Amino acid sequence: MTTRRALIIVPVIVVLFLLQSYFWVPTYEEQTRGNPDRLNQFITATSGDASLLNPILNADSASSQITSMVFEGLIDRDENLQFRGRIAREWNISEVAYFYLNHAAPDPTGKGVSGQNLLAWLRAKQKAGEPILANVSNIDLLPPKQSVVTKTISVAGQNMPVKLRIDAPARLRLVLNRVDQHLFGRLESLLGESYFSSFKALSYLSTQSKLPDEQLANLASELLPAIEHNPVIVFKLRPGILFHDGHELDAEDVKFTYEAIVDPRNRSPRIPDFEPVKIFTVIDPLTIKITYKRLYSPALGTWGMGILPAHLLDRKTLKAEAKMTGKEPSTFTIRQSSFNQRPVGSGPFTFKEWKSDQYIKLQRFEGYWEGTPNYDRYVMRIIPDPLTQEMEFYAGTVDDYNVLPHQVARLKSNTRFRNFSGLSFGYSYIAYNLRRKPFDDPKVRRALGMAIDTGKIIRYVLYGQAEPITGPFVKQTDYYNQDIKPLPYDPEGALELLAKAGWHRNSEGWLEKDGRRMQFTLITNNGNNLRKAILAIAQDAWKRIGVDVRTDQIEWSVFIQKRVNQLDFDALILGWSMGIEPDLYQIWHSSQTGKYQLNFAGFNNPEADDLIVKIRREYNHAQQVADCHRLHEIIAAEQPYTFLYVGRWTALLDKRIVRQVLDNNGNPVYLPIVPTKSGSYLYHFNQWIKKGNVPALTDRG
Amino acid sequence: MLSFIGRSLVQKLITLFFVAVVSFLIIHLAPGEPSEIDPLNPKFTPEIMERMRQELNLDKPYHIQFYLFYRDLFTGKTVSWKDQRPVMAKIWERFLNSLPLFIIGTLLTWTFSFPLGIGSAINRGSPLDKSTTFFAYMLISIPGFFFAYILIILFVNWLHVPVIGMETFGFSNAPPLFQIMDRTWHTVLPSILGATAGIAVLSRYVRSQMLEIINQDYVRTARAKGLPTETVYYRHALRNALLPFVTMFGLILPGLIGGSVIIESIFAWPGMGRMAYEAILARDYPVILTVNFISAVLVLVGTFISDILYMVVDPRIKL
Repeated sequence: MTTRRALIIVPVIVVLFLLQSYFWVPTYEEQTRGNPDRLNQFITATSGDASLLNPILNADSASSQITSMVFEGLIDRDENLQFRGRIAREWNISEVAYFYLNHAAPDPTGKGVSGQNLLAWLRAKQKAGEPILANVSNIDLLPPKQSVVTKTISVAGQNMPVKLRIDAPARLRLVLNRVDQHLFGRLESLLGESYFSSFKALSYLSTQSKLPDEQLANLASELLPAIEHNPVIVFKLRPGILFHDGHELDAEDVKFTYEAIVDPRNRSPRIPDFEPVKIFTVIDPLTIKITYKRLYSPALGTWGMGILPAHLLDRKTLKAEAKMTGKEPSTFTIRQSSFNQRPVGSGPFTFKEWKSDQYIKLQRFEGYWEGTPNYDRYVMRIIPDPLTQEMEFYAGTVDDYNVLPHQVARLKSNTRFRNFSGLSFGYSYIAYNLRRKPFDDPKVRRALGMAIDTGKIIRYVLYGQAEPITGPFVKQTDYYNQDIKPLPYDPEGALELLAKAGWHRNSEGWLEKDGRRMQFTLITNNGNNLRKAILAIAQDAWKRIGVDVRTDQIEWSVFIQKRVNQLDFDALILGWSMGIEPDLYQIWHSSQTGKYQLNFAGFNNPEADDLIVKIRREYNHAQQVADCHRLHEIIAAEQPYTFLYVGRWTALLDKRIVRQVLDNNGNPVYLPIVPTKSGSYLYHFNQWIKKGNVPALTDRG
Repeated sequence: MLSFIGRSLVQKLITLFFVAVVSFLIIHLAPGEPSEIDPLNPKFTPEIMERMRQELNLDKPYHIQFYLFYRDLFTGKTVSWKDQRPVMAKIWERFLNSLPLFIIGTLLTWTFSFPLGIGSAINRGSPLDKSTTFFAYMLISIPGFFFAYILIILFVNWLHVPVIGMETFGFSNAPPLFQIMDRTWHTVLPSILGATAGIAVLSRYVRSQMLEIINQDYVRTARAKGLPTETVYYRHALRNALLPFVTMFGLILPGLIGGSVIIESIFAWPGMGRMAYEAILARDYPVILTVNFISAVLVLVGTFISDILYMVVDPRIKL
């Protein structure tokens, strides 16, 4: 009897003991069970570990998510994508423009060609209220200057130093209140047509060395440019901003950050952003002035870069660290410093702990200038498996979850969570190699686009979590031209267009022109199921109108190195991710069509080229928007890509997380969290807090 | 008896030596060296790779490498190539993590298999027997990873509790009792999963052993002379049926170090199995070989113990 009883009772006891432990564990509903501290921390998850916690070096999303909390830039973008001051209190953009006195042009003053005369004449015009000079606050004269420079020139494949003597003529300097890329165009109407283009730089240059004429002319226009635009940004810094170690942040730190980026030894991926800087001047501890070599309107946005503490990373400190760790001091750079594992910045959260492949913990910074964040801690867990991320979210041990497209319909209706969605900053496309037939004909490209039902791709492949896109700008910005309609799905119309281009269906149903069948290969990288599905859909759609399409999926590095970079493809499926700035130079300008360059489609349109350059130089937002709309129109008409879709992201958040702000009487008021145009719902993160129960929300914001 | 122990020890030492040689060769002959694991990393220049090979003794002949490795192992100087930590310390830490899973899993296996197996043997052909048979085969056939995911989804979606990891994340400030119970809860699912296959197999085994004994003449005689059924089954029959299981105790031992790669990976459990798996991916030879060597030792010790136990419980057996 006892044996029998024991055999039954023992397993029952074991199981009961195990199962009772359930009542001690926090659940989603009762996350504070045994652990009231849970409300003070925000826990998020990422699939990959961070690499370098340094804003000037990192290139992966996990690292930049952490550095955006620990570091802060001079400016950032607000809810409506407008710039907003952070470390910088205010800023001003102006311009200094130069031009040389032109001895070859007719004299506009009528008193003889001299700098003094021209200056006096221009000043008189300005006094008389000449509208062309209304934007000019000051005009002065730089006297003629003689100098000798040594340049290294490659002649017949050999580098040799060339000594050049420059006898520069007098130069006029105009200080402008606003940047104006058309200044000189307008000035010509005052000074005389082709006053600037007739400037003969070569005549002021002399050398003993033998140089081909063309090379000398290039040197002359480089050393003595007839006109020069130097945009200037002056930032006023907020006083009293502290780094997390208590050291005060000032202009020298900003200068240090700039110098660290452009120092080639640090191999920063941000170098191109700061290459146009001509001079960086510290005016006083709270004022900096940055002069640019040329018109470059994306420049302001680059100052969102997090500012590094100079006192922890300067040469002396790095040398000491190299000595301590037994490394060679001369090759020891910021890249090797342990700072990248335990960063110190001036952002709202201080770095606390990093357990590789497990988590990164941040602690709020009590001395943050805008007020201490509500959350005590920010924790980023590294969970590679998406299912585990989802499960941890349902269990309340992760606070937000990025929903996969197929889950959206199910999870959006779940009342336990708050959900957000918005458009991504990127698009997928089919690019054609415009150098090859039949893609050199825009009618063919348009017809191929019309044969594909983008709506169906969005509905069935992306579960409706995407929108059609018609051009290369971020859809939620005003640069995007909303008037352009997506290509209609119209196979019949496509055939008509193809007939106009000379392609007719033969007896077997294949499209033919001059006895040659329309035949090409559509490729993409393997390992991406979305692109694989699009590949099959496009192949099927094009076969239906009689195009003989082969497809191929190629391993990523081979795909990029052997096919895309070598321009060895007919058509390919890929995606771009974009920044907010409407700078299309690298992807769409005709100078970028070589091997290893990004305009691999080979798009080449003179008007588009002009617009791309103009947009880069335009500092006036309204004008920039107008130019972008026109550029968008051209690209949509040319169809070098078949623009497919822009993805829609959806994220879930625990409902008990709200924004908490204090009203005038110091009582907490709870506001709902809303996503901003920047594609994130984390905008007001410093005001976030988790409550034990869902609080009543004041409907504002 | 003593001569048996002596003979057995010599035999086992020889086996161990061959196991060491063969496992060393298999691992070293497998393609991919630790220095080649990260070829896309631009920091890995050929010079650095060559220096790394020298530091790890990979440029020496195999027999020297073999000698060097086992010399380090027996003097306790082996370090992991991945993080330069002593291998034994690493294994010990992971072993402690795997231990609760192992204990609870084994406890569940043995406490469930016996009542189930005995019950279905005594009531052969009854609904209980049929349903345990059905479930046993079902549990044997379901792939472990699939079952694990199903259980995780069901538990999380119904109960909204965390089940992944060794403890609830961010729970380290909770009172000790809560923490102990939290850890207990986190062992529930993985140990149930670890036990299911064991229960399914072992209960089948118990059932067939029990059936064999029940059909013996002496059991029929005992029942015929009027002994209560309980006494016949649980005193006379069960004792004899238990004999083969005593020896199985010895064979549990190697399971101590094995851990379960699949379950530990799915539950993000920092245990032995996962460490060994990650070591294989990273070609961390010291860790792989040490784990291998320890498990070989444990298998041999286990068989030795079961031989002895068999002799102790069954006086008929002379070795």
